[in-house]
Amino acid sequence: MTAYKRVQQWNTFARVWHLYDATWQNPFESAQRIMKYLKGLHKPIYHPLNDCGDHVVVINSGEIALLGDEWRKRVYFHHTGYPGGATWTLAWELHDKDPTMIMKKAVYNVMDGNLQRRYTMQRLHIYPDDDVPEKIKQNITNQIRQLRPVPKRLDRYAPEEVQRFPKVMDWPKNYILR
Amino acid sequence: MSNSHLFLPSGFPRAPLQNGIGRFVCQLQRITIKFCKSNGSSRGVREFIEKDLLDFAHNYPGIVVYVKPRRHHSPCLSAEYLNGERQYVNCHNHSRDEVIKWVNLLRTESGNQIIRLRKMWHTDCPSIQGPWSPFVNRDPHLNVVEFPNESLSRPVYLPKTATEQLKEIFEKQRQTNVSSLDEKQAE
Amino acid sequence: MCKVCVVCIETMAARQTILNIQNLVNPSLLTVKRNYKRWLAPTLKELKRRKMKMGPEPPTRRSAFLEWNYHAELFAFGKRLGEEFRKDLLQRAFTHRSYIVQEEMRQKEVGIEDPKLSLEDNQEFIRRGETLMSEYLKCHLRVALPRFPEEGICAVHGYLMTDKTLAHVSRHLGTKDIILSSDFPVEEVTLATTLKALVGALAESSGAVRAREFVRDFILTQLAGRDINEFWEIKDPMRTLADILKRDGRGEPEPRLINESGRNTILATYQVAVYSDKQFIGLGYGESISIAVEMAAHDALKRLFHTTENMKPIPFTVDVRSMSYDESKWNTSVNDWSSAKVENVDC
Repeated sequence: MTAYKRVQQWNTFARVWHLYDATWQNPFESAQRIMKYLKGLHKPIYHPLNDCGDHVVVINSGEIALLGDEWRKRVYFHHTGYPGGATWTLAWELHDKDPTMIMKKAVYNVMDGNLQRRYTMQRLHIYPDDDVPEKIKQNITNQIRQLRPVPKRLDRYAPEEVQRFPKVMDWPKNYILR
Repeated sequence: MSNSHLFLPSGFPRAPLQNGIGRFVCQLQRITIKFCKSNGSSRGVREFIEKDLLDFAHNYPGIVVYVKPRRHHSPCLSAEYLNGERQYVNCHNHSRDEVIKWVNLLRTESGNQIIRLRKMWHTDCPSIQGPWSPFVNRDPHLNVVEFPNESLSRPVYLPKTATEQLKEIFEKQRQTNVSSLDEKQAE
Repeated sequence: MCKVCVVCIETMAARQTILNIQNLVNPSLLTVKRNYKRWLAPTLKELKRRKMKMGPEPPTRRSAFLEWNYHAELFAFGKRLGEEFRKDLLQRAFTHRSYIVQEEMRQKEVGIEDPKLSLEDNQEFIRRGETLMSEYLKCHLRVALPRFPEEGICAVHGYLMTDKTLAHVSRHLGTKDIILSSDFPVEEVTLATTLKALVGALAESSGAVRAREFVRDFILTQLAGRDINEFWEIKDPMRTLADILKRDGRGEPEPRLINESGRNTILATYQVAVYSDKQFIGLGYGESISIAVEMAAHDALKRLFHTTENMKPIPFTVDVRSMSYDESKWNTSVNDWSSAKVENVDC
């Protein structure tokens, strides 16, 4: 193989590192998207035997948002294999123990259950907050867009902006707010 | 999806020695026809030799034909090709037409081993624009941006929120108020 | 398969019952039923084992077979290639010096004092064929690649004239069985020289034009689908590029990193582009930055010489007669190459 062909192959199958900010995102919807990048489905050279998956670094996985009652009602089951080893952990309990677990399990469960799954999961790096090791930060060259817009908190707005905002209604002057 | 259960090997179509790009060379080098002079199984081959062989040899002078009578053996055709491969066809109880067809098949084959063709085409230059890479059509401003970037992270296709619609209505109202005020002042 | 008629079944049944009765009555009259022979498989296995133990069979010449007609083979060889050879010239082209020597030795051993062999060897044809091939290949390549430097043309020509390439062509034309030479199995050198002798013989019998067509159709087509740049290794592409740009009066080459991915991983990829006066001239990629810079310089040179992947392919069906055949007109060397020198050339 000539140097040109070797280098061409290296270039075509280069692995890209993507960044995903999971702040206020639904982990299960995000998992669908992340799974695509991990498997390599976003590439035209995709084939299941091709080993063309990319790396995804998820940050702020401690800030994810579950739908409705899910924090209180979603239950993660685990059995050690020994008698009496069944545990049912609620989502909020699991999140307290390890803030990356919910995201990790979401991605794991959305993938096909084949032998490639464990290898592909090794390319997913989840961090509970912004603190990413320097070496991994240097690898990242792309950002995946979020699925839901993150609204700005009221106390983050400047007071002049709040005042300038058009009011639809206002309380009467002698109204006492409780 | 696997081929481990298949006995026939697989491959891609290839022409020996770029045959056809320069000039076409018939790949059959020599054909040996072995038959029995008296046994009934060689009747078709004998008829072929009597009637069609000379025409065949005349039309394709590049093929050497050897005729070998052998007693008490089945008739057969043994073909040798330019790449050194051999093909053997047993013509026991074949009719004259069948023998003609087999001879023509051997003539038109290249000597390559018979395989299951994975693709019916072959090209040395599959792409003119060049093979794809993850950097094709990549926005160069991504090189100078600091990750994580807020504008790159925001979703692109969003419906207009109620807050934005309110703002627009307010702006429109203000514009109309301002213009009516101007008119009043002008009056 | 014909339907077994009712009558046959009845006779078969009758025959079987008779046999059964016979066996019951006198067991010594047991008739042998058609079955496989128990001794056959072990015998064949033993024979195979002994054959394997003796080692591989030495190869036999095709000319030693009963079905062999040397003159028919020679005639068919000429016709197969679509060429009209003169019979004696063709025979001479296949006869090597070593064969003649071997024959003379054999005759001397037998006792003939003055062996007068009517065979002539093909040394003259080999020389003639080699010069003709060499000239024509270089000419054709210079016409097909006018911007390619002379060193590159020589490198491609050198590859085409190696023994390995010529032996490959020769073998697939079917010369292996017809060659008269002392070595068996035939070596690469012999095959290569036979091909040269054939070109020489063709030139002698049908003229130089037919010989050139032969070279074009069989030897030049070995380049089909191959990348020309792989034959010519440029040692320091950046320095060569800098020299060429200086001669053109353009700014010196400036490599810039365009894309990268996975800097701290094993699979790090870097894409580097080379600019001159802020104009893009070449793109390269590689496992490390230095490799990428080198490949970018190579790419810039390819774009200058018009030998990129999407270049105009080398024509294999060009009319040899209409080609301007001037051996003295060489392409510019890479040490003098500049765009001005190749401007007037059409490509």
